[in-house]
Amino acid sequence: MKKLTLSAMLLTLLCSVLPAVFAQEPAAAPAPADAASAPAQPPDIICFESRKGASEVTKRDLKPGWPNVKCSSKTGAVLWWGDPFDGTVSMGDMPLLGHIPKGNAVVKPRSEKLAILPLCGVACHNGLVPPTLPKTKKPVPIPTMEGLVPELKNLQHGRERIWCLDCHHTNQRNKLVDNFGDPVSIDQPQLLCGKCHGDKLRDWRDGIHGKRIGEWVSTGKKRWFTCTECHNPHNVQDGARNRGFIQIAPESPPQLPKGMKDAKHELEHAVAH
Amino acid sequence: MEKIINFSADYARYVIKGGTKFYTWIGFLGLLAMGALYAFYLQNTEGLIVTGMTSQIHDGLYFANLVFLVGVAAGAVTIVFPAYVYHHKAMHEVTVLGEMLAISAVIMVMLFVFAHMGRPDRLWHMVPLIGIFNLPGSMLAWDVLALTGYLVLNFICGFYYLYTKYSGTKVNNSYFMPLVYISIVWALSIHTVTAFLISTMPSRPMWHHSMMPIRFIATAFAAGPCLIILAFMVIRNNTKMWIQDSAINLLATIVTWCLGLALFLTMSEIVVELYARTEHANGLYYLMFGLNGLTSLVPWFWSSLVFMLVAFVMFLIPSVRSNYKLLPIACVLAFAGIWIEKGMGLIVPGFIPTPIGEVTEYYPTIIEVVMSLGNWAIGFLILTVLLKGAIGILVGDIKMPGSAAAGASQ
Amino acid sequence: MLSASSLMGAAALMTQTDEPKATTEWAEHFQKNYRLMTDEEKAESRDRLERRYSAQYGKQVTVDTTPALPGVLMGYALNIRKCIGCRRCVKACVAENNQSRGEEPGQRIEWIQVLKMERGEFSPDKMEHGYPEGLGIQVGGNAYAPAGQVLEGQYHYEPEAVPEKDSTYMPIACMQCEKPPCVKVCPVRTTYREADGPVVIDYNWCIGCRMCMGACPYWARRINLTTPILPKEEMNPVTHYLGNRPRMRGVVEKCHWCLQRTRQGRYPACVEVCPVGARKFGNLLDPQSEVSLILARKNVFRLKAELNTFPKFFYFYD
Repeated sequence: MKKLTLSAMLLTLLCSVLPAVFAQEPAAAPAPADAASAPAQPPDIICFESRKGASEVTKRDLKPGWPNVKCSSKTGAVLWWGDPFDGTVSMGDMPLLGHIPKGNAVVKPRSEKLAILPLCGVACHNGLVPPTLPKTKKPVPIPTMEGLVPELKNLQHGRERIWCLDCHHTNQRNKLVDNFGDPVSIDQPQLLCGKCHGDKLRDWRDGIHGKRIGEWVSTGKKRWFTCTECHNPHNVQDGARNRGFIQIAPESPPQLPKGMKDAKHELEHAVAH
Repeated sequence: MEKIINFSADYARYVIKGGTKFYTWIGFLGLLAMGALYAFYLQNTEGLIVTGMTSQIHDGLYFANLVFLVGVAAGAVTIVFPAYVYHHKAMHEVTVLGEMLAISAVIMVMLFVFAHMGRPDRLWHMVPLIGIFNLPGSMLAWDVLALTGYLVLNFICGFYYLYTKYSGTKVNNSYFMPLVYISIVWALSIHTVTAFLISTMPSRPMWHHSMMPIRFIATAFAAGPCLIILAFMVIRNNTKMWIQDSAINLLATIVTWCLGLALFLTMSEIVVELYARTEHANGLYYLMFGLNGLTSLVPWFWSSLVFMLVAFVMFLIPSVRSNYKLLPIACVLAFAGIWIEKGMGLIVPGFIPTPIGEVTEYYPTIIEVVMSLGNWAIGFLILTVLLKGAIGILVGDIKMPGSAAAGASQ
Repeated sequence: MLSASSLMGAAALMTQTDEPKATTEWAEHFQKNYRLMTDEEKAESRDRLERRYSAQYGKQVTVDTTPALPGVLMGYALNIRKCIGCRRCVKACVAENNQSRGEEPGQRIEWIQVLKMERGEFSPDKMEHGYPEGLGIQVGGNAYAPAGQVLEGQYHYEPEAVPEKDSTYMPIACMQCEKPPCVKVCPVRTTYREADGPVVIDYNWCIGCRMCMGACPYWARRINLTTPILPKEEMNPVTHYLGNRPRMRGVVEKCHWCLQRTRQGRYPACVEVCPVGARKFGNLLDPQSEVSLILARKNVFRLKAELNTFPKFFYFYD
């Protein structure tokens, strides 16, 4: 009997051990090693940071295995920045932001995106007030302008109470303008936008409105997203329901849990009627 | 020490011998138990994804069985209490059988805990001193303490008593009786703590009410004795031991009262929740009528209600209750009804919807069913072995060589 | 029986597989709860993990063990007027935090869930619904129709573009409560609130009992039902022990405010990606941080505040 008890105990121990033994085995590594490295250069992955068409970024490796951005395969939006300050310059002086240590407020210069911006200053307007400046203050459709900025055909900002030269400098067309007629850099649109949208400017300066990435400490280094990086100033009313932000494609929904064939039941209402 | 080894050896030797019926039963249980081992292996390699549990509904068949079986274990007190506090003679003769049931039920609970855990290989983290045992904060820690204590108590009380019978000595009441009284109170507390485990979470409005512990105790004291009655019938028909009618009748009476109380509490819950029909009642509504068109548990609820009502009526009528041909049917109905209502019918709807409103459903997988059946089989295997040996000692078949027959003492 | 089986299992493992990997897994199996470790033990654990992860993912993985920052109480604010339901926060979190991702149900974990709520409408043809006049039971009318803000949320919405007309969106993840119900119920004290705010989990100590998942009123926690599926290319090698280091089968995980970033001073991934700037993060003890300014200036509320969980995740609107 003792032998039997002993062997029974051993059997039980073994049976309890077996699962633990196999349990520790790591799962087979997913994704077998890719055959050869890509034979040809794969096409560049380009995604947009905030506004499609205005904030494109090309994915590249900052360090091996550490990209500058990770892009969404579904919508083409940037999901993640490897280095938040990649490609940024100092914001320059901003009123009431003096408490931020120098160099800690950086922006991505928009001037670099507007490839023809330098031309705007010299090509057609050459520093002079054009003699054909319309007295009616309504924009005159010019094929070149329309080709560059299509939404100008129907400027949607201020419900027809503002026009081009309210924001753009009269003869330095690569600059914006303030109330004194002085030029404002196109990389500092907040100085202009804040004229009318002061409450937004205040919130933006405090970090409540808009977006900043980088260090969370209040005096830390942050890349500030300027107004035009998110809002298209020529067409803010598109999607009036979105308060100036155009509708975008959403990312994919969560995975359906086991036991659910679909999510149609979500469209029914729980309370009986 | 040598005496204990001899006792165990004699016990084991006796248990192993049996007729064809016995071996078929053991064989069948053994087969199911193998299934549980295989399922356990799968869960420890592939993970809980082989079950139907999700992050939304993360307690399923295992937890349901676990909760139900704690109740069955607590139900053993329905024998111990009358036997020792009221000196019910017929119950006194069979107390130790109740303790054996408690032991097997608690072991089943522990098996289901192992099945339920995400990392059973890390359960040593709960052992005090080498791990961290979060008292007094964690209800699960209290539950573990209560269950382990109950197992130990029943083990000591049951086997001490059997040993005295085996060796023909008298029970030392100055040690034994305090333990018995403690085990009576402890039985109530194991199930209360299990109820507290789920009723102390305001995130789960279906469970978050003070009625939960009393409901647990009532259903436990209905389901436990039902199982005991069935076991007693089997013992009467298959062994030398004769269990007196008065013991079975007392158990049936207890079932009647407790089943009635359980049904009353169910009615109370339905009225309170559905009168105002707030969002807190969504879980119960899912169980009873379905939610958002998802109705998989509705037939289960209503059949459990029917079972319990029919069983209650059967138990209520004295002529049916004392008819030992009909009594087992009532017991099976009550047991099944309570299993459904307390197991799947309580645990799963608690997670539907999630605290932030997502409605999903849960379907146990084959592996889960295999594991559950296997755990029940292991429990019944242990129960069979323990009962057989206990009965052998009680009728005098196993005794220490050279001692007086068991019937002579106490 | 438990430790014996683990011992034997680990021993068998050592003879089966690659030596260094096996030794690290053995030692990892028997390590203490993170909070009880001495600095040397922590460093040793970190080295072990770095070696294991680097071997497993084929890149140089770092496991940071920076402790709680002094003078900091992390806080979070989300502007629900701005959220457009684009779910980029969900995906950015996944890009940063090494969650399991796979096609089988239960293999994909996302810590943030975005709830879409529709605005129903009052309609004249519902006016006569319910019990007729005169019976004294005032039920009926538009009570049975969705009207105003409908509380029943949808999670699996997939329109062409967001925000949809007449829908509002609310993302929900761990609220990092000051009085977390999940911490209270943990039987092994593996989940706890760090001194600088976030509620964390020591993944190596978690036994997978899922009590915390039951206790959380915000459904913030997820269980790894299987060994996580994490392709090497997608693995983020900059990790924190209590943060985004790759988890294992059977343990619970949740948002931890990107500890690997926030302890080094950087915004969490969800904050950085939100295209409408709805998410704000900062130090609640610093009156100049955007979160403190929001609390001072805006209309702020917390979800399920009546449960006395004291979340540090605030919702506001302006």
